[in-house]
Amino acid sequence: MTPAPLVLAAGGGPVIPNFGGASKCITQNGQFCASWFFDNFGSRFLPRLVEHLQLTAIAVGVGAAIAFTAAIIAYKQDWFETPFSLFSAFLYTIPSLAFFELMVPITGINRLSAEIALVSYTLLILFRNTLTGLRGVPEATIEAARAMGLTPRQRLLRIELPLALPAIMAGLRIATVTTISLTTVAAYIGAGGLGQPIFDAIQTGFKTEFIAAGGLAIALAIVVDVALVLVQRLITPWSRRQVRV
Amino acid sequence: MTGRRDSAPAEIAFRDVVKVYPARERPAVDKLSFEVPPGEICVLIGPSGCGKTTALKMVNRLIPISDGDITIDGASVRQLELSELRRGIGYVFQQIGLFPHLTIESNIGAVPRLLGWPKSRIRERAAELLELVGLDPKSDLKRYPTEFSGGQQQRIGVARAMAADPPIMLMDEPFGAIDPIARERLQNDFLRLHSQVRKTIIFVNHDIDEAIKMGDRIAIMREGRLVQIATADDLLAAPADDFVASFVGADRGLKRLRVRTLEEIELGPPPPDGRASGPTVSLDTSLHYALSIMLAEGTTRLEVTDGDERVVGTVAMDTITQLIAPAAATNPA
Repeated sequence: MTPAPLVLAAGGGPVIPNFGGASKCITQNGQFCASWFFDNFGSRFLPRLVEHLQLTAIAVGVGAAIAFTAAIIAYKQDWFETPFSLFSAFLYTIPSLAFFELMVPITGINRLSAEIALVSYTLLILFRNTLTGLRGVPEATIEAARAMGLTPRQRLLRIELPLALPAIMAGLRIATVTTISLTTVAAYIGAGGLGQPIFDAIQTGFKTEFIAAGGLAIALAIVVDVALVLVQRLITPWSRRQVRV
Repeated sequence: MTGRRDSAPAEIAFRDVVKVYPARERPAVDKLSFEVPPGEICVLIGPSGCGKTTALKMVNRLIPISDGDITIDGASVRQLELSELRRGIGYVFQQIGLFPHLTIESNIGAVPRLLGWPKSRIRERAAELLELVGLDPKSDLKRYPTEFSGGQQQRIGVARAMAADPPIMLMDEPFGAIDPIARERLQNDFLRLHSQVRKTIIFVNHDIDEAIKMGDRIAIMREGRLVQIATADDLLAAPADDFVASFVGADRGLKRLRVRTLEEIELGPPPPDGRASGPTVSLDTSLHYALSIMLAEGTTRLEVTDGDERVVGTVAMDTITQLIAPAAATNPA
């Protein structure tokens, strides 16, 4: 099979890969050619979508592990709060494109560089929310737990962390949605994901590809957010009960 | 083990217990010494800041002891391992502190779970206790704390404190935040419960009427020191000093009528045929209630009946009012 021929669109428009049969919509570079999108979804978009999800999951997972640990330390040792807050806030202020570019000389053009930057952006919100959640545990609940002879570790695992879950989940939702959005930029340093077809489409001017990839990123964010809400309801059944008077 | 019945109540003894806070001149608790015999309810009472809550919380070491010692059946609480000490002491306090994320069953089962009880036994125990405190195990075990009123939550709090059947319970103003009607019911239910399942209880509050009702003995504290420890009757009859007299109230003579029953006074002779000819009250009626009946009925005499409705004597208003007088006379107010 010969390489995909290029079709020169009418009126000197953008160069669009044909991948076989070019419909009228494609040759005219219409806003969104649905049939082309569905034909190419499996081969062009699905792998990118999966990649995107992986990039996000790793970033949020690693970020959560770091932020939870930091929040628990800050909960037990007050002095730790300010330095970690400042550190994570500083990371948060770095422009994303610059951050990705900054990592290249250190860790190269690859996923690792992208993940380091993505993880950095999750820390502030996850740290703040976890710490706020832990500090919001009612004093009386902690006193009861102490009086029952729960060790500090048992208190943390059985009482304090579970009660901080609504705040932790709220932070996780924001961090995840933000990361899904940011991950599109990570394609700039070759991390893959849905940013890849977006960058390609910016180069070629192919509107359908651009809108499809952008739309998929948005859809992914919404679906994941809804999934997290459902997870939260499942793991905090107590938080939605109404007071019976 | 499953067949084990309630453990024997323990004796609690304070020995020159001192609590000093670094920034304060005066100790919060100053050489406090008293004993609570097994199975008794001892009410610690006094104005706010008198050290009563501090004293209570030193028993399970929620507050560390500065000097002196507290012993449980002779064993120093300072020697016991902290978790072990606390698991053997039920703790009920005003803010209740139920775990909002756990069902009622898990709340009650918290300490048994720490002790490694099997699930089935925890469930049985939770159901048994919930019934004991007047809630419905069938509908309430799987609910969450926020679904209950304050009074119901404190009933659950009491059940939770009793879950592993501790020989001792510490209660820090447990009914303080409950509305008066629910509080009265809680007090009555708790006393009934205590008569069935005897525990050694230290009960902190600042309401002398509740203390008189709940306490086998009442310990009055002021500025970290014990001023007087006595039964309600003795306390009302003979306050140790002016502070105690004013704390128990100028109407202590009247209050004393609540803690004494007709059985404790000398009755007038019954009618020869043993049949009632006017309003009657039974022997176990409090003097306070008997007096109320006289006032309500507009009479100065009541006939007193025993358990079989037989008249065994009479009581005159004068007899009761004379009992108020001597106590009141020593109080200039």
